[in-house]
Formats: sequence, C-alpha cells, structure tokens
Amino acid sequence: MFAIDIQGLSKSYKTKRHLTVNALKELTLSVEQGEVFGFLGPNGAGKSTTIKCLLGLIRPTSGTATIMGDSVTGDNYRRKVGYLPENPAFYDYLGAEEYLLFVGRIFKMQEELLARRTVDCLKLLELWDARKRPLRSYSKGMVQRLGLAQVLLHDPDVYILDEPMSGLDPIGRALVKDIILDLKRRGKCVFFSTHITDDVEKVCDRVAIINRGMLQVVDKVDNILQQGIEGYDVRTTAANGQVEELFIEKNALQSFIQQSINNQTSIERIEPRRKNIEAFFLDVVAQQ
Amino acid sequence: MDIIRITLKGIFRDRVFQGIMALGVLFLFIPSAASLSMRQVTELSITLSLSLISFILLLLAVFLGATSLWKDMERRYMVSVISLPISRSSYLLGRFFGLALFLILTSTVLGVVAGVMIKLASGIYPSDRPIIWSWYVLAIVFATLKYILLIAVAMLLSTVSTSFFLPIFGTICVFLASGITQQVYEYVHSPISAQTVSPFLKTVSSLVYYILPNLAGFDLKVNAIYSIPPNPAGLVLTGAYFIVYTVALLGGSALLFNRREIG
Amino acid sequence: MRRLTFPVCLLVTGVLGYCILIGPFTSYMRNKPIEEKLGFVPSIKLIKPLSADQQELAGAALVMKVLMYYGGTLGKAQAGKIVSESIDLMGMSRMLHGAVKLDPYNMDAYYFAQGFLTWDAKQFKVANNLLEYGMQYRTWDWYLPFFAGFNYAYFLKDYSNAARYYQKAGLLSNNNLHIQLAGRYMQESGQTDLAISYLAAMEQNEKNAVLKEGYRIRLAAFREVRRIEQARDRFKELKGMMPRSLEQLIQSGLLSPVPVDPYGGRFYLESSGKVVSTSKFAFATQHK
Repeated sequence: MFAIDIQGLSKSYKTKRHLTVNALKELTLSVEQGEVFGFLGPNGAGKSTTIKCLLGLIRPTSGTATIMGDSVTGDNYRRKVGYLPENPAFYDYLGAEEYLLFVGRIFKMQEELLARRTVDCLKLLELWDARKRPLRSYSKGMVQRLGLAQVLLHDPDVYILDEPMSGLDPIGRALVKDIILDLKRRGKCVFFSTHITDDVEKVCDRVAIINRGMLQVVDKVDNILQQGIEGYDVRTTAANGQVEELFIEKNALQSFIQQSINNQTSIERIEPRRKNIEAFFLDVVAQQ
Repeated sequence: MDIIRITLKGIFRDRVFQGIMALGVLFLFIPSAASLSMRQVTELSITLSLSLISFILLLLAVFLGATSLWKDMERRYMVSVISLPISRSSYLLGRFFGLALFLILTSTVLGVVAGVMIKLASGIYPSDRPIIWSWYVLAIVFATLKYILLIAVAMLLSTVSTSFFLPIFGTICVFLASGITQQVYEYVHSPISAQTVSPFLKTVSSLVYYILPNLAGFDLKVNAIYSIPPNPAGLVLTGAYFIVYTVALLGGSALLFNRREIG
Repeated sequence: MRRLTFPVCLLVTGVLGYCILIGPFTSYMRNKPIEEKLGFVPSIKLIKPLSADQQELAGAALVMKVLMYYGGTLGKAQAGKIVSESIDLMGMSRMLHGAVKLDPYNMDAYYFAQGFLTWDAKQFKVANNLLEYGMQYRTWDWYLPFFAGFNYAYFLKDYSNAARYYQKAGLLSNNNLHIQLAGRYMQESGQTDLAISYLAAMEQNEKNAVLKEGYRIRLAAFREVRRIEQARDRFKELKGMMPRSLEQLIQSGLLSPVPVDPYGGRFYLESSGKVVSTSKFAFATQHK
C-alpha cells in the first residue's frame, strides 16, 4: 500500500470570462510509506492545488487519490494525516496550547496523551514560553512553528507539508530539517512541497518536479546527484611533498587513482564537482 | 463538540458579550423611561425590555451569523480547520450551534436583567393587568428561536457568498420581509385585491411567502405585554415550524458548503 | 459521495417537514385573532428617536401596516366569513396618529383615518382633531378641510363650522363646488345626497384599491338608502301618510327592485320614517 497514491488527477478552473485554466493535468504519483518526498516546482506550478485535492479542500475535475488506502473523498482518512497549510493561519484569539488541545480533541486523542504531546510539541518547536499568549501576538515564524506542532501532535503516518520552510529563519529551517529527518528515522512518510531546492537535497529520498500543472520528473535524489557529477576536484601530495590540485574527468577517476598509487602520490581529498538539484531543477523547468 | 466550544470562545474573546452588557446598561433606564407613560408603566416597561432584547438579538444574529463563516474564510482559518478530520457538515453545525447557544445565553441573561427591571417598575406603579411571567418568558423564548432561525439564514447565505455583503444585507432583507409576508400573502389572496393584483403577482407573492421564513408567528410581545393568553396549539405549530425550517436551512447550507472549494 | 448523505438527509427532512407543516401553519397564522395581528406598536415617544433620520419611512410603514390589516379584514368580511374579533379600530387609530407624529405630511394617514374614524368608529371629534393637525402641515391640501367640513355637516350637524371648512377647501382648490356644497346640503333632508356626493367624489379620486373598495361599498349602500327615501317620499305624496314598513313600499310597486344592503343587513323604516339597516352599515362582527 502506498502512503499517497495519486492517479490521473486533473483540476481545471473556469475564469469569469469562461476561459478554462488547467491548474493540474493528469498527475499520477505514488509515495511509499516511510519515504521523504519533495514536491518541487516554481510558483503557480500546481503544487498547492495537488495538496488541496489531497486534503479534500478542493474537488479534482477528474482522477482519484488515496492516502493510506483510503479515498480522499471521505473525511476519516485525514485522521492519518498531518497537514501544514501554506502560510497557515489559526484562530488568533486562542493561545498555542489551547489550539493544540482543540486540534487534539478533533483527532479524538486521549486526554492524558494529548496533554503530554502538547507539552512535547510546544517544547520541541520552542513555543513553550509563548503558549498562553493569543496567536494574534505571534510572529510569522511562530505561527509557522505552531503549524508544525499541530502536524506532529497526533503522530500520524503521513505528513503533508505545504512550503514548511517559508517564513522561518535559518534556525527554524534547521529545526524543521531535523524534524523531517527524525520522522524519516521513525518510518513516517513526509510529502512536502517547496521551491527551494536546497531543502530537497538535504532531506529527501525522492523528488518530483512539476511545472505548469504537469509532472516533469520523478526520481531518487541520489540518482539525480549521481547523474549530475561532471568530474572531481582532487588534491594530492606527491612523494616530494608537492601539493597539487587537479580536476579529473568523471570517467578518468579510476585510472587516476591507479596512477597515483603507482606514483606513490597520496590523495588527500576527492570532491565531486556536480550540478546540484538547483541546476537540475532549472534545466527541467527551462526545457519546457 | 469542539467547534461549538471554539465558536463560543471566539465570541467571548472578541468581547462581544461585554459589548452586549454595555448595551444592557440601557435596561437600567427602563423603569424611568417607562414612567413617562401615564397609564401603562408596566406595559411600557415590558415593551421596552422585549424590544431591546429583540434588537440586540437581531444584531447578534445578523452580524455573528453572517460573519462567522466569512471570517474563517477571509482569514484562512478555514483551511486549517477543514483539513482536520472533521466533516464540513459538522463544522457548519458546530458553528451554528455555537452561535445559537450564545444567543440563548444572551437572551437568558438579558431576560433576567429585564425581568428584574420590570418587577421594579411594576412595584412602583402597579398595573391593573397582572404580569404573567410565564408568558414573558415564552415571548423571549420565541424571540430567541426567531433569531436562531435567522442565524441559519445568514449561514446559508454565507455558504454561497465570498464576501460578507450578501450574508449581512441578505439576512437583513429576509428579516424585514419575513415580518410582513403574512400580511402581503393575505392581502393578495383577499377577494378585494382580486381586481387589482395580477395573477402573476399573486403567484410570485405566494411563492415568496412559501420560500421566505414567516417570522410573524414568533412574535408574542402582545401576549406578554397585555397578558393575553397565547394559543397553545399555535405555539406548538410555531415551534415545529422553527424546527423544520431550520433543519432545511442547515441541510441546504451543509450541502452547499460541502460543494464549496476552499483555497 | 457519502459525505453528502448527511446534508441531503437533513435538507430532505426539513423540506418535507416544512411541506407538511406549512399548510396548518398558514391557516393558523391566517386565523390568528386580528388584535394580535395588528401587533403592538411601542409608544411613539420611543419610535421617534429609534427611527433616527428615517421618520418618514417609519411613518409610511405604520400606515402600510394598518392598511394591510384593514384590507385583510375587509376581504374576509366580504368573503362572508365572520371576523373573529371586531376590527381593532382604536388600534388602527393609534397607529395612524403615531404615523402622523412621525411624518406630519403623510397624506395616506389622514385620508385613511378620515375613512374609518368617521363611518366605522364614529370618532368624529378625533377625526377632526387629526385633520386640523394635518392642516397645520399640509397647508395646500384642500382635501383636509373638505373632510373636516363634511364631518361637521354630516355627522356633527355643526353647520357653521362646516361652512367655514368648506370655504377653506374652496379657496385652496379654487373650486366653487365646495362652497356650494356647504350651502346646498345643509338641510336635514339633504343628508343622504350630501353623503352620496362626498362618497362619489372620494371613490373617484381614490387610488388605493382597498380604500376605493370601501368607498364603493358604502356608496352603494347610500344609493340604496336614497332609492328607499325617494320611494318613501312618493308614497307620502300619493297616499298622504308615511309607509309603515319597507314591505309596504315594495308591495305598492314604488320600490323596485328590492333594495340590497351590500353590508349584508336588511333595510327597514324607523317609526320616524328614517331608513336604517340591521347591518348599521358595517360588516358583521362577532364580539367575544
């Protein structure tokens, strides 16, 4: 069973002038359980549309989707999902603690567990001191962190995060990356959208790139990085103590190493020189 | 229901209740205002109390009813709540019952305050008609039902509208119209108007009569003020009318709300 | 879709219930005692400040309410139903007085009040006071003194005051008719003619269907009265004595066809020879 299974999902809107805008065209995508999946695309590519369809916020024009085997046309599957909306907003007259308690009750968590998880999540996301303050006094980053707290609260199997890093400072981003990696260790599925490639490179197992409503690429991050290698920067120290920095072609590495051994040159460092995900992403988008 | 609790919290945190209580200070002036009337001090104080309560409930029904969904939509709270494992219908019903509960609470508090004031007024200037408190309570109960129904109207309008304009003005219009549909209906169906009212107009007004709520039946002010016994069968009928009409409105709202896209 | 089942059930239940209930509810509302239906209007002292800058509107609304109420009861009476309670004339009067306090220029209120306060309620003094109040504002309106003059002449038999008001009406309307009216019908014998000419003028000028109908019925009644009076006078001329009864008149062949009281009563002659009806020229009401 896939954690998330999307089959032929399309969404089109009618504008006021009777034009049809295809926000999403025939998207088919499956995400394994325990996988961290990056959903990459420029602004307006259809990332949020996909996620909103998954959460039942909007109805797809055609196609189906299941989460943990349950169709997204019902309501109960959301019990297994933690969702962080893009630029989330929560009832601003509540405090963070109150909001988490509210969320937990909707998830029908046991009171005791809920109380414990609330404390944990607030502490993890560094909202403990502000927990009683009404949310209207929160900064954007604090609201974003509360959003993550409410996602983690009920410990679901599937996490759907829409732009989880936006609005966060570098410390916050690092925290989020740690959290995602921790979820990965615990075998959870994390599906998150972003347009920042750096995030993907560090945490994702697989990545999909979507542009203008159409899926362009789905691949393992490792593969992309592997394919992107153009060559290696090598630093060697010769027997006479001479230090050299060289660029070795991708195919020539093996023979270079052999040669170095023969010459009794010690290799101090080999660094792959490669196109990163960003360059890859830009290539994919530019191809269209 | 957690949505009900959240709704009530929201209303209280927005200091709506304090606002009402500030308005409620007006009740303190009822005995003195009522003494302006030479002959019917008690009657006038009951009138003033009931009218003031009605007015406050009307404001609450229109503004809370029309803005509660709109606010959630506008401030994007809706996305974070609707994506929780809760059906849209129960969200909507939670909102409705939260507001209804608040209305009941308000009318209870105001009813008690006004009751004390009426008691005071009637103590100073005894009336020749005894005050029948159960009818006074009944008048408040039915007024509350009336405005709860109005909340359902406002909710229905909110589910189709993207702004607060339609719900607020629509609800006000429905309220105004609902008070006179009965009279208009009877007028166009009276033989006297047969010559002047075209059959088309007659059909239209009958249609409007059947679609719009008829809130005239909920008005028991006269009974409370002049201690006229209300018709029990009629009250039962009115109560049943309230239930079916509200249920239909909520069903319609839930249906429309389920079909709505929340972006 | 199963998530729609609940709302659809709710809607269907509500609509069905409504269909079942609306019949009895409508008939309950229709048969509600009239007194309750006219409703209670709070003291004008209260309405005036509450209606803020919309006093004209509030006034017009009050007049409308009374008119609708009156039209409804008139309709029922004509349809042959016995009105469950006598028409709340005093309530109507109270409301119209309230209406002119809010908007002293409201023409409908005066015309309407004149219509029922005199014929139905027999509150001639009240009617004239109201008309005099109106004359202070509607200084150009010849109808108001015309009404007042008529009331003095016909109901109160105060011919000097009547003449004064007819004079005033004549000056305002530039129409000698009113001045002539004052002189022509001042005799007791001319009462019925006076009423007929007044009612005919009123009926002709009336735009409102309800009121026009009211005038038409009353006019019809008075035309019948005049027919009987003429027959009675012929009888006296021919036989040299007053007829003992209406039946005698009919048998003598002087009165044909048999007069019909549009209010549903039966005409008869008083011993003085005055023509009256069991209906007292009002629709039957049943007093509690």
